[in-house]
Amino acid sequence: MSTPENTDDREQPKSKKPADTAFKQQRLPAWQPILTANTALPVFLIIGLTFIPIGIVLVVTSNRVLEYDIDYTDTKCININNNNNQTCADYLKDNPVPTTPCTCKINFTLTSDFDGDVYFYYGLINYYQNHRRYVKSRDDNQLLGKSGSAATDCEPFQKINGTDIAPCGAIANSLFNDTLTLVYSGQTVPLQNTSIAWSTDKNVKFQNPSDPDPYFRNHAKPPNWNKTAWQLDPTHEDNNGFENEDFIVWMRTAAMPTFRKLYRKLLTTSEPFTKGLPSGTYELTIVYQYPVINFAGRKQFIISTTSWMGGKNPFLGWAYIVVGIVCVIVFAVFFILHRFWKMYVLAY
Amino acid sequence: MGQTNSMTNFSRRIALYTDRNKRSNENILGFGDGNDLKRVITVNAPQQVKYISNRISTSKYSFLTFLPKFLFEQFRKYSNIFFLCIAILQQIPGVSPTGRYTTAVPLLMILCCAAIKEIIEDFKRHIQDGAVNNRRVLIYRYGNWLYSKWMNVRVGDIIKVADKEFFPADLIVLSSSEPHSICYIHTSNLDGETNLKVRQGLPQTSHIISSLQLKALQGTIECELPNRHLYDFAGTLKLANVAHPIPLGSDQILLRGSQLKNTGWVYGLVIYTGKETKLMMNSSSVPFKRTNVEQIANNQILLLLFLLLILCLFSTIAGEIWNYKNRVAHWYLGLTRMPDSSSAAVPNHVGYTFLTFFILFNNLIPISLQITVDLVKFIQAYFINWDKDMYDEESDIPANARTSNLNEELGQVKYIFSDKTGTLTKNVMVFKQCSIAGIMYGSGNIEKFNHFQLMQNLTNHESGGEIREFLTLLATCHTVVPEKKTDLLVDVTYQASSPDESALVAALKEMNVIFFRRTPDNVAISFMGEEEIYEILNVLEFSSDRKRMSVVVRCPDGQIKLFCKGADSVILQLLSSDDPNSGITSQHLESFAKDGLRTLCVASRVILSDEYNSWIEIYRQAATAINNRAELVAEAAEKIEKNLHLLGATGIEDKLQDQVPESISMLHKAGIKIWVLTGDKKETAVNIGYSCKLLSDQLLNLTLDEDSLEDTRRQLQDHCSSFGESLRKDNLASLVIEGKTLKFALAPPCRQDFLDLAISCKSVICCRVSPKQKAEVVELVKRSTDAITLAIGDGANDVGMIQTAHVGVGIMGREGVQAACASDYSIGQFRFLTKLLFVHGVWSYRRLCKVLLYSFYKNICLYVMELWFAVHNGFSGQILFERWTIATYNVLFTAAPPMALGLLDRCCSAETMMRFPALYKMSQNKSDFNIKIFWTWCLNAVYHSIILYFMSYAMLRHGNMAYTAGLESDAWTLLTHISIWGSIASWFLFLIIYSNFWPTIPLAPEMRGMAKYVFSSMYFWFGLILIPFTALMADVIYNCLQRTLYKTLMQEVQEKELANQDPYDLVMARQTSTVSRVAERLALLKSVFVRTRTPKMSGIVAGPYHGFAFSQEEDGVVPQNQLIRNYDTNIVKPPGL
Repeated sequence: MSTPENTDDREQPKSKKPADTAFKQQRLPAWQPILTANTALPVFLIIGLTFIPIGIVLVVTSNRVLEYDIDYTDTKCININNNNNQTCADYLKDNPVPTTPCTCKINFTLTSDFDGDVYFYYGLINYYQNHRRYVKSRDDNQLLGKSGSAATDCEPFQKINGTDIAPCGAIANSLFNDTLTLVYSGQTVPLQNTSIAWSTDKNVKFQNPSDPDPYFRNHAKPPNWNKTAWQLDPTHEDNNGFENEDFIVWMRTAAMPTFRKLYRKLLTTSEPFTKGLPSGTYELTIVYQYPVINFAGRKQFIISTTSWMGGKNPFLGWAYIVVGIVCVIVFAVFFILHRFWKMYVLAY
Repeated sequence: MGQTNSMTNFSRRIALYTDRNKRSNENILGFGDGNDLKRVITVNAPQQVKYISNRISTSKYSFLTFLPKFLFEQFRKYSNIFFLCIAILQQIPGVSPTGRYTTAVPLLMILCCAAIKEIIEDFKRHIQDGAVNNRRVLIYRYGNWLYSKWMNVRVGDIIKVADKEFFPADLIVLSSSEPHSICYIHTSNLDGETNLKVRQGLPQTSHIISSLQLKALQGTIECELPNRHLYDFAGTLKLANVAHPIPLGSDQILLRGSQLKNTGWVYGLVIYTGKETKLMMNSSSVPFKRTNVEQIANNQILLLLFLLLILCLFSTIAGEIWNYKNRVAHWYLGLTRMPDSSSAAVPNHVGYTFLTFFILFNNLIPISLQITVDLVKFIQAYFINWDKDMYDEESDIPANARTSNLNEELGQVKYIFSDKTGTLTKNVMVFKQCSIAGIMYGSGNIEKFNHFQLMQNLTNHESGGEIREFLTLLATCHTVVPEKKTDLLVDVTYQASSPDESALVAALKEMNVIFFRRTPDNVAISFMGEEEIYEILNVLEFSSDRKRMSVVVRCPDGQIKLFCKGADSVILQLLSSDDPNSGITSQHLESFAKDGLRTLCVASRVILSDEYNSWIEIYRQAATAINNRAELVAEAAEKIEKNLHLLGATGIEDKLQDQVPESISMLHKAGIKIWVLTGDKKETAVNIGYSCKLLSDQLLNLTLDEDSLEDTRRQLQDHCSSFGESLRKDNLASLVIEGKTLKFALAPPCRQDFLDLAISCKSVICCRVSPKQKAEVVELVKRSTDAITLAIGDGANDVGMIQTAHVGVGIMGREGVQAACASDYSIGQFRFLTKLLFVHGVWSYRRLCKVLLYSFYKNICLYVMELWFAVHNGFSGQILFERWTIATYNVLFTAAPPMALGLLDRCCSAETMMRFPALYKMSQNKSDFNIKIFWTWCLNAVYHSIILYFMSYAMLRHGNMAYTAGLESDAWTLLTHISIWGSIASWFLFLIIYSNFWPTIPLAPEMRGMAKYVFSSMYFWFGLILIPFTALMADVIYNCLQRTLYKTLMQEVQEKELANQDPYDLVMARQTSTVSRVAERLALLKSVFVRTRTPKMSGIVAGPYHGFAFSQEEDGVVPQNQLIRNYDTNIVKPPGL
């Protein structure tokens, strides 16, 4: 060959041999769980045997939690202001905007002491706080105390005659406004209406505007309200406006049409409530203002103690027990199957 | 060679191609020649017209075109359009339940990922193009030699190409280092033919052997416009000093893609460059290949879309009914209240409700599916590239996945179409064995021929004389030309158009029988150091019909002898009736053939001078006859080629690539049918068939060898009916079909029968197949069966079939990169195909199926829960989960598990997969992904969603958890992997971070403080353990049952592997039943075939196979006779500078 070799300036290229690493050669160690009757049998047994005790513990814990609830939607709540034995529900139906609110008293008896922290809830049934239009109808920026007009999301509760509503939106407009008070042998049960909301909500999410009093006077109140936001809690100056805890609790919408919301906590500073609610007869006074009858809703008043798990929840415990039992049954079936199948196969 | 197209067709074809070349036409019109069908090139002067450069580009994008092209590509995918629509719909105020940007942002993220992937892939292509464009070549320009890059080669340049170099463009030969401007080229890259071809420069230019003479060359070349016909060329050369234009034909043309062989150098004039070369005109752009799995997935997406619409419609109607019934009663919702200002009308139209649900449920179709699958495949492709078992040490070539979207097809291949030369064979011939006077020398097992015994017998044995004659014959009866570099005999090298002869002469040299000089009349050999000169009196050429070549020589002692070598079938007929060696030699031939050797019989005869003198008259007359010359010459030859004495036979090995027979038997075991499509002759092909165990005597060997459509059809029908019930099933049968018969078989009337017959056979060998036929055959099988086809080849002639098949694999060999460039995967050796299929293919397939199923599963599971929730919120379209949480669900929380599945999951170790090819059948039968499995998973997802939702719901009824976001934590664990734990952890992390956004970042007000409350609730934690377990329990139980009661082979092997046991027995036990069944069928078949056999129409290879094969260029530019006469190796060759 007569090609001038000296002009060939190509270098010996680097070898293209792939690197020999476990990852590149796909030799990473791997755990291959193979589910056969053999390997799965012990697993089922172990799970069954752990789940059943857990379930029992959970059920017991849940049963220790005392709960008492009263449905005061209609029959139990008779208007005490007039004497025609009318239920508050009917009264409210007849007078959608009553001059004097309907009040009723219900007596009930707690058969055992409610020890420890006692929580008071109001519960609503068939109430769609999770409706998309409803959930959307709020303005979180307004609730942060920021100036500026209410968001269009609040529609149809954005403005009244051109004035912004504060707080705007359907959620705020429909704030639960029954008043529930409890009397025990002539003594009003001391209830705490603060620190019932999430601390983050109270401290971060809900902020009053810098100059609250004129702010709320200059804005329209929601059409359903009979007072402005600044008048929600006359007893505590700083529990008003957007920072009112009842309001904050209401604003955290429930996921299901059946829900309960924390209403009050028992104040354990004075006798005889230092240890909790003593057993005995109580008188519940309800200022009945919240209409639910039209949509077949129900209202409840709930008293509950708490455990390390939280509130009463028998379902979880029973679910554990059921799943545990199923595991054990599966174990048994597999065990038998495994034995007999092998015999069958061998015989065959 | 065989593909001579008559020139009459030529002008018609030109006309066809004119619009294709409109641009060049205009150029030429501008030149003012008036003839728009010509290209005019001036020699040694600047061109009047600017031609395209020799740079080639296979890349998809350039810097500027990237964005528009990329977006176009992306939005051609249905899913991307779908999500773009969703993103746009979300911009309508008040309609979207999930805010405005919750689809746009993930979509953007996904497009970014895709863009990065595309950029990386295209970058690789740019580099590869660069490598080709930057190859070096010597160019003669402006009186100087420049060493320049290929891409700088221009039309009109004169370049010098040295031995073994590739031609950078299409050239016209001006002259070469050989006499009469002869040069040899290797065109297997273009047409797959193994033998070298001869090209010859014009006599008018052959004197040019130095740069001075080059400089003096003046004139123009007129030639046809660039076209794709490899075998046609027409042009004229007008030289300044020659009065008449000289015609140029295809004998003067050197095409890009072919290689100069056995020739010192050539001077060539560039006529076509870059995309206009015949090679590039033949390579169509890579077609978009879509995989089977993708196809099914796409169809299911459409079904899901349909389902989605139904779901939306149902929800809308339910929502409207709920609204109608409840909007007044549920006063707090404010549904009947008119907004204060009419400007901000709340949309309350049914259509809007529908859209709301459409957006709500849109993620039933997983947004991240496309990109997850793309990424998984992309990285899978890297695993292929990284596999050191598929790295070819010798040529420094690792496997290379050029497209990543076909990985899973590799796991389902049912048919392999393979090229022969360069793919199965190395294209190296080696003399391996011989039989002389009934004694066998050499062994099939030893790499090189051991001539010790032969040498001993030469001197001591009684057959010594015959051995001597045998060796002398081989040294003289051929068309090889020796080349002496030095005076030493050891340094002689040979050039030949026949690789067989080359192998023989080279082997003789080892035995110290050296052929060292050829002059027009003589051949000089050195027999054990003694110089002997044989006068070549006549050469009786080789042709496929004659199957033999003879020379008549005058020996040094004055005796006239006829030396003949050729096919056993012919030579054995020509022997004198009482030849003692023929019986034993036949046996030896049989044994050679069994080893796959190419055999030649060798015979000689002493001719008395009287006989010679009378014969030479006849021969001369025949040789100068005007009509029927070839026939007359053959007749004349027959007159003297008779009463031969059989000396023996030779066995030449056509070297196979490493481990080809082993690989083929593995592929067979995996249930893959192998078709060899070769441009070579039937003999060569059958030979290779035997040596790589495609054919064997245990198989029913069928042959199709008919000359007319009618006969072909009849024979096909006969065969088909003989197969009877087992037609289209697995049979231990093989089929060999000739090129001309294939042409008829592919014609519509025969096509179906041919297909039926061919797919009933384990191996099929098609001979003398043109590149176009290769593609046709693949297309036929691809169309008519729903099986996955794979084509593997190494030359440009395989490009068609590589692009047609579902998967194209290119062998990245020494023979250029055309096939590799057109392929989807390129590997260095045929044997790597097994790992590519059995390990990477199966793994990729199973992984991808799981990724697809899992992706659908997770989204269906999540979004069907929305449906259950809709029951509880009055079908208002409220979302169960917080909007950004679901927006990122696909791209963040659940991105890792499918990726991990797609990359790390494996069913069996690579070693097991390789040891038991039978495992391949599982994925071949599409057992991991079909419509049934898909919908099973979907139903399972619905079931899981029910458990997840209603258990959480039951829990919430009693508890007082504030918001259901906690539900989401059930991170749909199905297969336990670190990434899954990671994805659960990521949810926790996300919740912690996310729930602290508001109001610092204006997102997710309702999530503020969520983490603290969720995590402090014990119910959450207990629920977290219980709910997923319950959901999965059914799956676990099902798996257990299935494993216990009915194991698949794969699962059994898995278990054995885990238990460190050898799964060998298992696989064997499962196989025996099928094997015996097939064997039974074979026995039955053979009996059927034997019974129906008629002497003429049989088509079954009758009698033992003797393995004759010989390649030689026939009907070439220069006849063999002349070729021999042209050379005088006493004359020193010019250096060409």
